[in-house]
Amino acid sequence: MDKYKSDIKPEKEDHHESRRDFLKTSSILTAIAVAPATVAKAAEYNLGEKISAAFETTPVNLTVNGVKKQLAVEPRSTLLDVLREQLDLTGTKKGCDYGQCGACTVHVNGQRVLSCLSLAVMQEGKQVTTIEGLAKGDELHPMQKAFIKHDGFQCGYCTPGQIMSGIACINEGHADSKEDIKEFMSGNICRCGAYPNIVKAIQEVKNGGQRS
Amino acid sequence: MNEAFFDKKEYKPLDRVDGRLKVTGAAKYSAEYALPNMAYGVLVGSRIAKGTIKSIDSKAAERAPGVLAVISHLNVIKIPGYAARGVHPSEPPTGGQPLRVFYDNKVYSNDQPIAIVVATSLEKAQYGASLVKVQYDQQEHQTDFEANAKNAVIAAAAKKNPKSPTADYDRGQTDAFETAPFRIEAEYVLPTEMHNPMELQAITAHWEADDRLTIYDKVQGTKTTQKTFAKEWDVPEQNVKVIATFVGGAFGNGLHSWPHESAAIIAAKQVKRPVKVVLTREQMFTMVGYRPRTWQKIQMGAAKDGKLVAINHHSIGQTSTYEEFTETTLMQTRMMYASPNVSTRYRLLPLNVATPIWMRGPGEATGAFALESAMDEMAHAIGMDPIEFRLANYTETDPDKNMPWSTKYMRECYEEGKKRIGWENRKLKPGSVRDGEWLVGYGMGTGTFGANRGPATVKAELDLEGNLVMHCAITDIGPGTATAMVQVASNTTGIAPEKITFHLGSSEFPNAGLQGGSSTVNSVGPAVQAACNALKEQLITMAAAKSGPDFGAAKPDDIMFEKGEIQLSGKSSAKLKLSDLFKQNNIQKIEATQESKPSENGKKYSMNAFSMHFAMVHVHPFTGQVRVKKIVCCADAGTIVSPKTAESQMIGGATGGIGMALTEDAVMDHRFGRYVTKDFGDYHVPVHADVPDIDVYFVNKPDLLADPVGSKGLGEIAIIGVAPAIANAVFNATGKRVRHLPITPDKLLGL
Amino acid sequence: MIQFQYERASTAKAAVSALANNAKIIAGGTNLVDLMKRNVMAPAKLIDINSLPLRSIEQQNGKMIIGALALNSQVADDKLVLEKHPLLSKALNAGASAQIRNMATVGGNMMQRTRCSYFYDTALPCNKREPGSGCGALEGVNRMHAIFGTSDKCIAVHPSDMCVALVALDAIVVVSGPKGERRIPFDDFHRLPGSQPEKDNTLQKDELIISVEIPDNTFSKNCHYFKVRDRTSYAFALVSVAAALDLDGKNIKEARLAMGGVAHKPWRLKEAEKALAGKPATEETFRQAAEIAMQGAKAFKHNAFKLKLGPNVIVEALKNAAGLV
Repeated sequence: MDKYKSDIKPEKEDHHESRRDFLKTSSILTAIAVAPATVAKAAEYNLGEKISAAFETTPVNLTVNGVKKQLAVEPRSTLLDVLREQLDLTGTKKGCDYGQCGACTVHVNGQRVLSCLSLAVMQEGKQVTTIEGLAKGDELHPMQKAFIKHDGFQCGYCTPGQIMSGIACINEGHADSKEDIKEFMSGNICRCGAYPNIVKAIQEVKNGGQRS
Repeated sequence: MNEAFFDKKEYKPLDRVDGRLKVTGAAKYSAEYALPNMAYGVLVGSRIAKGTIKSIDSKAAERAPGVLAVISHLNVIKIPGYAARGVHPSEPPTGGQPLRVFYDNKVYSNDQPIAIVVATSLEKAQYGASLVKVQYDQQEHQTDFEANAKNAVIAAAAKKNPKSPTADYDRGQTDAFETAPFRIEAEYVLPTEMHNPMELQAITAHWEADDRLTIYDKVQGTKTTQKTFAKEWDVPEQNVKVIATFVGGAFGNGLHSWPHESAAIIAAKQVKRPVKVVLTREQMFTMVGYRPRTWQKIQMGAAKDGKLVAINHHSIGQTSTYEEFTETTLMQTRMMYASPNVSTRYRLLPLNVATPIWMRGPGEATGAFALESAMDEMAHAIGMDPIEFRLANYTETDPDKNMPWSTKYMRECYEEGKKRIGWENRKLKPGSVRDGEWLVGYGMGTGTFGANRGPATVKAELDLEGNLVMHCAITDIGPGTATAMVQVASNTTGIAPEKITFHLGSSEFPNAGLQGGSSTVNSVGPAVQAACNALKEQLITMAAAKSGPDFGAAKPDDIMFEKGEIQLSGKSSAKLKLSDLFKQNNIQKIEATQESKPSENGKKYSMNAFSMHFAMVHVHPFTGQVRVKKIVCCADAGTIVSPKTAESQMIGGATGGIGMALTEDAVMDHRFGRYVTKDFGDYHVPVHADVPDIDVYFVNKPDLLADPVGSKGLGEIAIIGVAPAIANAVFNATGKRVRHLPITPDKLLGL
Repeated sequence: MIQFQYERASTAKAAVSALANNAKIIAGGTNLVDLMKRNVMAPAKLIDINSLPLRSIEQQNGKMIIGALALNSQVADDKLVLEKHPLLSKALNAGASAQIRNMATVGGNMMQRTRCSYFYDTALPCNKREPGSGCGALEGVNRMHAIFGTSDKCIAVHPSDMCVALVALDAIVVVSGPKGERRIPFDDFHRLPGSQPEKDNTLQKDELIISVEIPDNTFSKNCHYFKVRDRTSYAFALVSVAAALDLDGKNIKEARLAMGGVAHKPWRLKEAEKALAGKPATEETFRQAAEIAMQGAKAFKHNAFKLKLGPNVIVEALKNAAGLV
């Protein structure tokens, strides 16, 4: 049993071979990454953070809260980390990073998705809406108002995800009953336990005929 | 003090004052401060539970793009506070001290942080961390509670002090149980539970100068954290600034300073850049405490009329091998019911695991599961209604301390709770109510927690436009501290809430203790009152000097503000414009800083908050599924200063109790000493669909012996007693008693 | 996560031809990205197939053709699916969360890997992740694990709900490879662990799932998906059952039955189906079928409850399908 207690390699580790093959990729493919081997070289020769970053990243164009963004991202960067660390849009939260809590919920092309499981590079050309993009100036979105009115939160950390999810829940047509809301909001965990108040907020917005 | 004050004013529901920041994403939590030149740290955890590190191969990690440093005990800089604490005590097994990260090559628990990889981006740090290869000299570890229970020991704290709440306790005859007409004896197990706040534990550490540190840290006490790290780095306290403006839930795991905080601070020092460390969800299970697995045994004896004869309550709680962690699991047993004979024994079991920390309700919630389940078992054995049984043992004074209660309004809770849950639909005989295929059951459980109060200081400033701004170092992990304090200030002054601001969450602000132990409103509320009253006194002095005798005789309680005017109560003509008064005195604002401390009342009265939870459940007889259909929470918590947020706090506690009763279980594979349920996918906290309507009732009668606000605290009693209420309801529905939480479907099969 | 190459494939053929040298297809990414974050999978290259035209749901020649890239939520809410195969919709909505269903595709759902804790933790042994390292669950914590078709190499379960419905509905998986298309009966798509638990299914390394076909059937009126889990929603099954009945009055003409959470693959219960055919739709009939269904089940230290829970869930699912509840 001893051997299991030391480090076990991930499923496949030797990816260097294929990295080198990369430049020979078929022309049918839209190849948009740069060989990471080059990057390792850049680092080895101490070419500095900025130069090595330029080698590692891939351009991606997306619209965030109505603003067009031209970004350079690593293919492995998630939309969540790009929003939080690169764009300083920290309203979208990291609660688990594995798609198990819903705190990172954003709308991509109007659909609620988990930004922690979305690679930023795969969002080319898409419309991303985060919690920061809901209010129109000082005028809060009806769902934001309803959350305040019904006290649909305590610590506030799951709140952006709950609000983004709640809006989508109504738009999807899954907010016809309390039971429906509870089922279709179950991907958004609230550890403070504000659930009944969140449901009330969603019901109120739904009954007010509000759509985003 | 000023009792009349509360008779004339009422606290009304108020929207959360920081609500707008929270619903717009503008509230900034500790990982959300973008500092120039910031680097990212990712911790490498040990893959054994006990032993020593033989070698760390960090070459590949160091060569990986963007990696700035790999820091471990092999190359860590000198940390002045480490040496001062002497050698790491693994003997004796209790006592001890917090883990010093990167101190030496010893491994005390699985996933103990043993290195930190610092890189220019999060992704690079994560990848770098995956490249660090560690060799160990492994020793045999002990993590299996049941297999080691015989090694439980008396707490070091109890050895030192026989009056410690963890010391052995006997009231009356120790053998009274043996001869009681009705006897039950049962063992209860609460598994290890994880706080699992939604926000991952995070710290951003920034050395602004060689001896000046700023940390944005997820903590429940800015001042205690400041002290800890000032000591660790041997710098003056004022050189350490701790910012925790928003905390994304904590439930206790911000009550201790943890290795990842030290690691981030070390890394920032070593790479000479600000460093941000955010734990992974798995690391939330291994690095920041948990509710310890606890075994309990209760022997309860009673007479036919329902009078308790004896309660013997034993408990063993898990702790680490390097640091003693105790909780007051058995206190409720000593004081809740009028049993003439009570014995309690509290023991600790040190295992090769990380140190636990108080989790909401802490030991009291654990103890209440056993005690309140046993009460239900005894009621069933006698054939009494569980509420009648409890009322038969109602205590008008504290039988443990032999002191009167400061206040106790539990009878109101029994009455109101019964009514609201529909107790009349409950049948004494389990399994006799159905709704379609589902079995229906009703249960209840009570809870209590000390009305704790500590010293706190608040600075208040009032400007000529009537804006009141306050500062205090207290944190808010979610209950709505700023909202509650705005309400206390508004209530004290008459100033409208929208003109009042309460700043918190910084060690730069006046002193306050931890946000824990349900003590915030009880401690900081009185300081808010005191600071507001001090402002009023200044105004009275100013007004008396300028406007004659009316104000000269006034006391703070006699004046209130309304629409920018100071008004003398009872004399509508006696009013002054605030702006005029300020102008006349040629000042822009006045300020007052007041400290409020606990009184001596604790020596004369037993001061406690009480709760009572009622649950109605459905149980599917063939699949074992439990659905909580309704919960009623009743609380005798003194004055409710913020009815809206207080109700949410109760709902949240009940939700935590649903998790405790039905779903939460941190399971370890003891061959490896490693958790196998370690994320939200397999450690199940309640989701929307698990939580029914929760009806909250507050007695809302002030306890002015406890503190001048009249509050007794709410955070803990919101969860204490919920799990047994649900377990008792499951028994009432099915006739099956589950004594080992959580009550998952497999435990109810074969009904 | 390792640094990898990222490419977008514009045709299925291109995607297939790029599948070499530890490359992986990515569509919704809901499982793959998670596994990559935890260093359980470390592909050198990801081939993004989201621009392939495989999202449609169509009815043609007596069968429904669901594109491999159709989203789980899209299928669950699709009018045609709700009308013809409501069992599929029910199963989909019993799985994951609304957000994940908005991202996850039908093909990805089939390709998702086990949630076994030992598979997910690189510090623990797992033959599926690291062949030859041993099965951690066999002698370990195995409450969630399989009771059918296990081997001494692996006792993991397939986590999908959707697949349980699809195997019950006799779906066909259409895959594309260098030699053209191949049609795989759903029950043959996933495999038992045997001596090669690293292989989840029979898809070849150079093949891509194109679509899933469901032949028309007569089960739309009487079907049910019953899932028992540790919380009310958003959890993997302890046991789940897809039940579909074709009723002639009170008699069963034909039945379909499959279980989830019990095997390395969605577990079709053909013997039990045979036992149901021609019998009256009563609880007694269902109980007899459930007993047949459980033949050959073998429990481990912590999952013996599934031997009791399994038949009960079968009965409950059938009762619901027959309208007896």
